[in-house]
Amino acid sequence: MTLSQGRAIFIWGTVISAVIFLGLTYDSISKMPERTHEEKLSDEVANGKWTWQRYNCNDCHTILGIGGYYAPDLTKVMSRRDPEWTRQFLKDPHKVWPAKRRMPNLHLKDEEIGNLVAFLSWVNGIDTNNWPPKPMAVAAAGPSQMPGEAVFKAQGCSACHKLSGVGGDIGPDLTHVGGKRTPEWIQQQLENPKSHFPDSPMPSFAKLSPKDMKDLVDFLSSLQ
Amino acid sequence: MKYETQKIAYQYFVAATLLFGLQVIFGLITGAKYVWDYDPLINFIPFNTSRAIHMNLLVIWLLIGFMGGTYYLVPEEAETDIYSPRLAAIQLYCFVAIGVAAIIGYLAGWSWGMPFLEQPTVLKFGIVIVALIFLFNIFMTMMKTKKWTVIQGVLLGGLVMLALLFLFGVFFVRNLSTQYYWWWWVIHLWVEGAWELVAGAIIAFILLKLTGVDRELVEKWLYVEVGLVLFTGIAGTGHHYYWIGTPKYWFWVGGIFSALEPLPILFMVIDTLRDVREKRIEIENRIPLYWAVGSAVMHFLGAGVWGFAHTLPQINKWTHGTQVTASHGHFAFFGAYVMINLTMIYFAVPRIRGVSLKGHGRSLVALRLMVFSIFFMVLALGIAGVVQSYLQRILGMDYLTTQDYMKLWYAVMWVSGWGVVTGVFIYIVDFFSMGKPSKITA
Repeated sequence: MTLSQGRAIFIWGTVISAVIFLGLTYDSISKMPERTHEEKLSDEVANGKWTWQRYNCNDCHTILGIGGYYAPDLTKVMSRRDPEWTRQFLKDPHKVWPAKRRMPNLHLKDEEIGNLVAFLSWVNGIDTNNWPPKPMAVAAAGPSQMPGEAVFKAQGCSACHKLSGVGGDIGPDLTHVGGKRTPEWIQQQLENPKSHFPDSPMPSFAKLSPKDMKDLVDFLSSLQ
Repeated sequence: MKYETQKIAYQYFVAATLLFGLQVIFGLITGAKYVWDYDPLINFIPFNTSRAIHMNLLVIWLLIGFMGGTYYLVPEEAETDIYSPRLAAIQLYCFVAIGVAAIIGYLAGWSWGMPFLEQPTVLKFGIVIVALIFLFNIFMTMMKTKKWTVIQGVLLGGLVMLALLFLFGVFFVRNLSTQYYWWWWVIHLWVEGAWELVAGAIIAFILLKLTGVDRELVEKWLYVEVGLVLFTGIAGTGHHYYWIGTPKYWFWVGGIFSALEPLPILFMVIDTLRDVREKRIEIENRIPLYWAVGSAVMHFLGAGVWGFAHTLPQINKWTHGTQVTASHGHFAFFGAYVMINLTMIYFAVPRIRGVSLKGHGRSLVALRLMVFSIFFMVLALGIAGVVQSYLQRILGMDYLTTQDYMKLWYAVMWVSGWGVVTGVFIYIVDFFSMGKPSKITA
C-alpha cells in the first residue's frame, strides 16, 4: 500500500461515516418533538431541567441511563412514585426514605420541587425504545393480579419494608403479614401507625384515596 | 530537543502531573462512598461533587498533557520555533486558573450539571478562548514550515475537531433528549474521534523518533488507522442513541459501526509492535517504548474488548446505566489516554532536561503497579456491574437493594484504587527526579 492509498482510506472512511451520521442526525432531530412529546414541554418542565442541572443531580443519578451510578435511574421514576410522595421526598429525603445510603437534603424551595416533579414526569413519557427493560423475572410471572401492589410500589413502602427478601429493614418484613394481621388491623396501621406503636417512625397513609387504601389492604392481606 | 521553544512543554507536563495526582485522590474519595454507606463528607463533598471533580481533573490534565505534547512535537515536525512561547505560557496559566475555578466552584455548589461538562457557562467561554489561543499559536507555527507532514496534518485536524465539538456542549437545551444528543457529540466524538487523532499523531511521532523506521511507513499507517477510527467512530456514536429518545435505526447503525471499532485499535497494536521490531536505530531510552507498547495493549483491551462486550443493543439493553459502563470508562481512559500522555512525558522530558533515563527503574515500577491495579479495579467494577444487571434488570430488585450485594466488589475496587494511587505517586516522584540525574544514577 502506498501513502496516497492510505490517504484515500482516510478521506473516504471519514466522508462515508460522516454522511451517514449527519443524515440520520437530521432525521433523529426532526423526530424528536414527536418521540419526546415536546408539546408537553412547558416552562415548568424546562425550569425543572435547569433545577436538575443546577444541583448536579446527574452526577449521582443516571437519567436515560447516563450519569452517576450512585443512586437510582430516574428515567421512568414517575411510573413508580406518586407526585406527592416525590415532593415529600425531595423536601427531606432521609425522613421519607431512611436508607443507609443517603441523599443529602438540598433545601429545595417548593417551586424548585414542583418544577423537578414536572420535569421528571415529562421525562417519564419519552419514548426510550422500552428502556429500562421490564425485568425478565417479572415478565415471566405475568401481570400482577393485585392492583394494591402498584400502590405499594408507588408509595415507596419497600424503602422500609421487605417483601420476599427485597426492600429495606427499617420496618418489619411484610412477606407474610396477611397471615399475622387482620385486614382491619392493617388499615388502622396504615391510617394511624402510632395507634398501635406510639414510637413508630412510620408516616400515616390516611391521605390515600379510599380505592387505593382498599387495594393496598387487600394486597397486604393476601401475603400469607 | 532541537528548538529552544519546545521547552514550554515542560511546564505543561508539570501541571498535568500534579493534576493527575489530585484526580486519583478524588477517585479514592468517590470510591469510598460506595464501600461505606455512612458518608462523613456528605455535606461538604457529596458523591456528585467528588465525581465531577474526579472526572473534570481527568479531562483537564489529559488536555494539558496533549497541549504540552503538541508544543513539543510541532517545532520538530515543522522545523521551526513556536510562533509565540509567551502566548503558550499565558494559555497554560489561563487554563489552569479556569480548572481551579471550576473545582472550587463545584465545592461551593456551582455547577452546570451535565456530566463531564459541569463547568458553568462563563468558564466554558473561557475554555473556548484558551482553545482559540492554542489553535492560533499552533497554526501560526505550522504556517512557518516549509514542509507539511502527515503527522502535523492529523494533529491539527484532531485539535480543530476537538475545539469545534466542544461548542455542542456549551448551550442549554430545553429538551433533555436533544441536549443529550448533542452532549454525545462532545463526549463520544472527542474520545472516539478527535482525541484518537491527537493521540495517533503523538504516538506516530514518538515511534518514528524512537525506532527510526521510514517516515512513509509510519505516516501511511497513521492515515489508515485514523481513517478507520473515524469511519467506525463517527457513525459508531449511534451506540449512545439506543435509549435516549432517538429512533430504533440506531440499533443497526450503532451496533454495526461500533462492533468494528476494535479493528483500528488492533491495527495500532500491530503497527506499534512492527515499528519496534523493524527499528533502524538502537533504542537508548526504552522507557517511553514500554509505556507506548503498554498503552497499545491496554487501549485495545479497555476501549476495544471492554467496549465491544456491551456495545450491541441486545446486551446494552441490560447493562446500560450500570457499573459495567464505569468499568469500561476507567479501562479505556487509562489505556488510551493516560498511558499515551505518560508515554509522551517520558519521551519528551528527558530530551527537554538533557538527562538520560538510565537507571529509571522506578518508572517501570509505576507502570506495572498502575496497569496491574487498574486491571483488578475494572475487573471488580465489571463484576459489580454484571451482578447489578442481573439483580436489577433480570430479577427486578430495586436499585438500593442491589447495592448491598455489590459491596464486596466495591471493596476490591477501592483496594485496587489504592494500588493505582500508589503507582501514580511513584510516577510523580519519578517525574520530578528526572531533572536530577546525579541522584538517580548514584
